[in-house]
Amino acid sequence: MTRPPTTPDTPGRPLTTTPDGAGPAHDPAPGPDPTSETARSDGHGTVVRVAAVGDIHLGPDCAGVLRPAFAGLPDRADLLLLAGDLTRHGTVEEARVVAEEVADAGVPVVAVLGNHDYHSGEEAAVTQVLTDAGITVLEGDAVVLPVAGHKVGVAGVKGFCGGFVGRSAGEFGEPEMKAFVRTTRLSAERLALALGDLSAAGCAVRIALTHFAPVPDTLAGEPLEIHPFLGSYLLAEAIDGAGADLAVHGHAHLGTEHGMTAGGVRVRNVAQPVIGRAFALYRLPVAGDGTASVPEAVRTAAPAHAPGGELISGAVRRS
Amino acid sequence: MIEFTAPHEDEYRIARLRERLAADDVAELGVQVEQRGTSVLLTGTVPTASRRDEILRLAREELAGLTVRADLVVACADAPDRWEELP
Repeated sequence: MTRPPTTPDTPGRPLTTTPDGAGPAHDPAPGPDPTSETARSDGHGTVVRVAAVGDIHLGPDCAGVLRPAFAGLPDRADLLLLAGDLTRHGTVEEARVVAEEVADAGVPVVAVLGNHDYHSGEEAAVTQVLTDAGITVLEGDAVVLPVAGHKVGVAGVKGFCGGFVGRSAGEFGEPEMKAFVRTTRLSAERLALALGDLSAAGCAVRIALTHFAPVPDTLAGEPLEIHPFLGSYLLAEAIDGAGADLAVHGHAHLGTEHGMTAGGVRVRNVAQPVIGRAFALYRLPVAGDGTASVPEAVRTAAPAHAPGGELISGAVRRS
Repeated sequence: MIEFTAPHEDEYRIARLRERLAADDVAELGVQVEQRGTSVLLTGTVPTASRRDEILRLAREELAGLTVRADLVVACADAPDRWEELP
């Protein structure tokens, strides 16, 4: 199915201009705001600007806290990723606060849910509230967004725990233990399939969005004893197997921002306590503009997609 | 019958506080509670000042008689002033 992003982008719009073409002149501060510069103009080619944050844990008492920062997004970013734990208890009331916070974001918003968003057993209703507000909520599916005439793909799952290579739980023994590890394995499999869909769709940039961590690198600062509850190497294996340009996650409040999978994919922990800001900003070069992250054969073989942002394979994999 | 000494009781009371912070009404999993000698230290980042106050109130209630120290940070909601290039 096709769904419009929060603000329709114009294919072919060069990243060197803001949507109104006015550039960074909106900033009343002396000198240009460095984050308002919308693209590199130094001959290195087009970049996609990704804003990302997780673990904002909003509730009615937080209404309006992030809105001012989000309102400036169109000048700074091409899309906003929300890496789960958007609410405190996973209630519809809290989800409405999240929807209100991003209502004026002015860029496509793509989210996965986190464990907190499941706590009240209302995750379907939470997803509906966010979807009604124009947020693309991914769980085993992917979305393709047009940025400056290029396809930027985001594949998302919440993910789950189990631990990392050499110190991980196995699908063995009691039914409860097998179910625990199977949950992670199936989630990783859905992520790999969704990333594969992005390659098939000819995306110039592919981003893996999860709540749980794919690598232990970004958990540095968390007690070692709880690493198995913070993520799983199965997610990293899926990311490396299917290929991605960036992996973004949350969940680990005491962790660090930077990490990398064994296969060389950059991982960023954007839990708000980690990044210490309303969101983090990353600028990725677009494949074909100097950096090839998708094989040319895959890109040219891909079918055309509607420019408004297309959700891939959602209904099939959600069950 | 086992008779706990005070330090043992303190350890279980601290564990109970951790459970209360993670429970339904609070749901703050990002707060660390550590015993430091004869006092208890709370660290971590919370979304608002009112939640910080709520956590401190719970800690003082659960750990009455112990010294509770807190270094809880309210999350920064400012837009970033820099980006990272990912070449």
